[in-house]
Amino acid sequence: MPLWFARGLRRGVVTTRYPARPDDSAASLPTPPAFRSWRLTREAADRMVAACPGPALSRQDDILVFDVGACTACGRCAAVAPDVVASSREFELAATVRSALIKKIPIRGGER
Amino acid sequence: MNPSPDGTEAAAARLRATIAGQFGRSLHIRTLDTGSCAVCEQEIRLLTAPHYDLHRLGFFFTPAPRHADLLLATGPMVRAFDVAARKTYEAMPGPKVVVATGACALGGVYPKDPFVHGNVGEVLPVDVWIPGCPPSPLALLQGLAVAVGRLAERTPDLTFIADGGEP
Repeated sequence: MPLWFARGLRRGVVTTRYPARPDDSAASLPTPPAFRSWRLTREAADRMVAACPGPALSRQDDILVFDVGACTACGRCAAVAPDVVASSREFELAATVRSALIKKIPIRGGER
Repeated sequence: MNPSPDGTEAAAARLRATIAGQFGRSLHIRTLDTGSCAVCEQEIRLLTAPHYDLHRLGFFFTPAPRHADLLLATGPMVRAFDVAARKTYEAMPGPKVVVATGACALGGVYPKDPFVHGNVGEVLPVDVWIPGCPPSPLALLQGLAVAVGRLAERTPDLTFIADGGEP
């Protein structure tokens, strides 16, 4: 008898709520970038903005504006600035307010 | 968001709680393709596979908007689709929820031009935004759970800064 069936008989529940436990397959999903703000310079930010195929990245003075909603996780920013960009490993990103998806990354590198 | 003096915020919170209660156990979903490349649709179809098993959570797909509680809109909202999109939304009985799905629907892929609006929010009142290109079935499940108020959204707390102990 399959284990899940025996467990279902014992508990009276055969299905689980979301999420019963972390899903292993989530580790291999492409996810939006996360930025190392102390290594981020204006030059690196401009390189990433130029490489971004959509409107996901823009720079306002010393702030890199990252629109998570517009990001397709293509990895081109990581290709032009590999020391600045890490993978965020975040994919559960649903938001009820669009502006909650727009993140401001301070540019802290290259000042000292 | 500023709390309004006339108690609109409190009324809105009560309404959200009521809707979440009504949709708590059974919710019917109508998908709306507004010009997507069909990869979002592929991920949506995967939700009914045994591995994700959307039905255990009380979500079902329906072929007609008249039976739907939730509109899962994908694609950048091509202008040729305006009338159909409005008719679909109006055919749904209230209360209804609109979920914009994928980077196209959130304005990340196609700019506004004579052919597309570039954003589902230009035509429909969007309640939940699900980023991703495409959003994985896990991300869609979380988005649907957020839409019916079963899970709290996590995005406002995420910074996307990975300093990892550096100064």
